Amino acid sequence: MTTFIVRRIFWTIPVILLVIFMTFVLMRQIKGNPFRTSDRAIPAAIQQNLERKFGLDKPWYVQYYRYVKGVATFDFGPSLVLRNRDVNDIVREHFPRSLELGGLAFLFAIVFGVLLGALSALKANSIFDYSAMFFSNVGFAIPSFLLATLFIYFFALQWDLGFPTSGWTTWQSKVLPVVALGIGPMAAFARLVRGTMLETMQQDYIRTAKAKGLRWRRVVGLHVLRNSLIPVVTAAGPTLGFLITGSFVIEQIFAIPGIGRYYVTAVTARDYSVVMGLTVLLAVIVIVANLLVDVLYGILDPRTRDART
Amino acid sequence: MVINPREATRPPLVEEERTLQSGAAGAPLRQSNLWRDAWGRYVRNKAAVLAGGIFVVLVLFCVVWPIFSPYDPNAVDFALKSQAPSLSHPFGTDNFGRDMMTRTALGGRVSMGIGFGATLAILLIGVAYGSISGFVGGRLDNGMMRVLDTLYGLPYLPFAIIILAIFGNASFWTMVVALSVASWFTSARIVRGQIITLKENDYVRAAKAVGARWYRVLGRHLLPNTLGVLIIAIFLELPGVILGEAFLSFIGLGISPPDASWGQMANDGRTVYRTSPHIIAVPSMAIATLILCANFIADGLRDALDPRTRET
Repeated sequence: MTTFIVRRIFWTIPVILLVIFMTFVLMRQIKGNPFRTSDRAIPAAIQQNLERKFGLDKPWYVQYYRYVKGVATFDFGPSLVLRNRDVNDIVREHFPRSLELGGLAFLFAIVFGVLLGALSALKANSIFDYSAMFFSNVGFAIPSFLLATLFIYFFALQWDLGFPTSGWTTWQSKVLPVVALGIGPMAAFARLVRGTMLETMQQDYIRTAKAKGLRWRRVVGLHVLRNSLIPVVTAAGPTLGFLITGSFVIEQIFAIPGIGRYYVTAVTARDYSVVMGLTVLLAVIVIVANLLVDVLYGILDPRTRDART
Repeated sequence: MVINPREATRPPLVEEERTLQSGAAGAPLRQSNLWRDAWGRYVRNKAAVLAGGIFVVLVLFCVVWPIFSPYDPNAVDFALKSQAPSLSHPFGTDNFGRDMMTRTALGGRVSMGIGFGATLAILLIGVAYGSISGFVGGRLDNGMMRVLDTLYGLPYLPFAIIILAIFGNASFWTMVVALSVASWFTSARIVRGQIITLKENDYVRAAKAVGARWYRVLGRHLLPNTLGVLIIAIFLELPGVILGEAFLSFIGLGISPPDASWGQMANDGRTVYRTSPHIIAVPSMAIATLILCANFIADGLRDALDPRTRET
């Protein structure tokens, strides 16, 4: 087990390096220069000085090396557009909100998704099951920007339930964005849990447990649920990607000053170092999450240890 | 990718002679075949049939309606600004007084065009990458899968945004490229998995034993048998791509006005949802309908074409 984990952790290092490299290569392909987009014309000498200051005149491998060194010490470099601010400041200011939004949405999705899926499976083909699955299918399909605007329109404006329409301050202001972001993954979890639970309930060991007289509640709690939750762990990885994607839209609608909203601003301002820093940061989060998922999966299902390195 | 449909109908485990027989030009195929069985299984799934029907209607609406619509989709008329749905404008008008029904159909052409274009590209890249990786195997396979693992680490939307930024502008084709380059990984994995499983079949060994070249083995025996999975994959990938386009347009990085896509139209409605919510609701509902249908169709197709790997 330890070898598996160690090997898995070591493997993420080249993956992260490669991701940084690819982001680096991609970013260099973007035309235009942050210093030239401003309305004021900058004299050539100052232009050169600026490029020297930010190391843009160095060959690419030197820039890459410097960048990797920076990332290793959690220093993502200065912002090219905003003076006196570096990427770390931006991350420190905006990231906690996005993390909270994503974390709460994930929590919401997993708690209600598993609950809904499990109840549906236990009462398969009942009215409850059908309506829950209908709800899940619809929830999965509706784009989050529609959900978010509908939430604001009804809960905040029409019915005036005390939810603010924007911001990220009080707990009331957090309810609508979290639910709007979490419903998609919740629906996915519900469908997944229902499917795996129905499958698990047909396994021989469940029949054995029933046959030896174990109470149904215990069978469900001990055997069915436990084995059905393994796929949920695997689904957690892709869900993270979904939440990141969703947060870009949700933060825009609710005017939450988080990473997703800042990212779009940085792209339009051609603030390379910020875009790169945020991309690398998001990528590292996804990679680390996948690492955790794999390790957790290895612990829960020993059969996968050898197959996955 | 051109595949002779009759080739593909050949169920696994059929020898060369049978292929020759059924391959005779114009010979009617009476025996029970894979596609007819699959169709039979699909039709039994009521939800999938309904979803398929709605899907076809939606596509037809987008293709045909702009031709017959009495309204010019780009005619601005502020006297008719932001009207709620009515008889003369069933979907209402937008904040420029343009007919929403016509624009939804036109936007659907763009959104679905990008959606299908990108899905096709995703499958092509996936087939190329996955079949090389799975067919050659060994070290190359290992290396290619590692690269894929790395690409999985790139978050989808930021990746697509960077690619769009490289092009400098968002148009129909740059959107297709950005969305497909950011999301072909799953299809490559699926194809590779299929090829690896199929490679072990007796008919593949037999083909190799009688001296078939690698391209023949790959092109006639392996790839046609991945067709079923690929058809399912179309409807699995489509929602993601449509949503991707919508998200990009919604945050203001989509194709430029006056061309409409559903995401672009939703973006138009974003600022005025307090007074006229229908402007954002109509295109979003169109997206939701399309995705819902695609999900049900994918479920139905999976049960129909690939009964072994049933997954709920």
